[in-house]
Amino acid sequence: MAAISRGILISRQYSGLLGLQTTRYAGAWNKDWMPGPYPKTEEERLRAARKYGLRPDEYKPVPDDGLGAGDYPDVPLVSAESRNPFTNWDYPEHRRNFGEPLHQNFDIYGLDRINESQEPRFSSTHQFLSFASVMAFFIGTYYFLENRKMHWPLMPKQFPNEGVAHYTFEKPE
Amino acid sequence: MGQVMSEFVGDPATRPDYTKTASFDPLYGFSEGRKERVMIASLEEMQSADLPQTSRDYCAHLAIEHRACRQNVWPLAYKCAHEKHQYLNCQYEDFVLRMKEYERERRLLERSTRKAAKAAREEMND
Repeated sequence: MAAISRGILISRQYSGLLGLQTTRYAGAWNKDWMPGPYPKTEEERLRAARKYGLRPDEYKPVPDDGLGAGDYPDVPLVSAESRNPFTNWDYPEHRRNFGEPLHQNFDIYGLDRINESQEPRFSSTHQFLSFASVMAFFIGTYYFLENRKMHWPLMPKQFPNEGVAHYTFEKPE
Repeated sequence: MGQVMSEFVGDPATRPDYTKTASFDPLYGFSEGRKERVMIASLEEMQSADLPQTSRDYCAHLAIEHRACRQNVWPLAYKCAHEKHQYLNCQYEDFVLRMKEYERERRLLERSTRKAAKAAREEMND
């Protein structure tokens, strides 16, 4: 066994390839990454804290509200966009350090997604008033011009009809 | 004043309604009378030529001639230049007549407004 390991390490040096992977995944399939059941006893709580690499005093599971978080730790939510961009992060694309526990909805608080702590640029009142004033302008213009339509200075076209006489402006012979 | 401006400026009472026919008697003010417009094409002719309703005006006989000419000489439609010219001239005269009718209506409305104002003044003086 030791000879095999040594062979792998040596071949990695000389082949220029990364060599064979000698570690293994903690889980093999999606279901293996599922959180365990919500810890009820103190012993279960300690075991869950150890599983997630947290100290028992800082481990607090997500409240058991029926959404299936199980024993996953309740990590404080700080969106990637709110984090310091000049810190020497281990994963700059996620602004995250190695081993740092992830929020349970980490995937929607990335740099390209939601910034949870962002304030809207304009207040709701401002937005509503802007919308209302633009709409009022156009609707008001529409109703103002409803009876003031552009037209040629013409009377309607004359069509011959029974019992209707149309005249020219000439004298009769 | 331009037609668009007059929709906003001026008295709306003297603004003719361009969607309706003249409100005054067509012979009012014509002591010698007016020449009546004559419809030359008959209903049967227009139906036979399958003339669209919008073309069944006082120029319909020229429209029929023009269409018949085009049908006879097609595809050498340039040979119907004379018929086309006649037909479009008739439409032009019709357009001018409608402009004149509009102006008559406007002037009569202004006149009736003046007359009403004068009657009110005289009533005040009496």
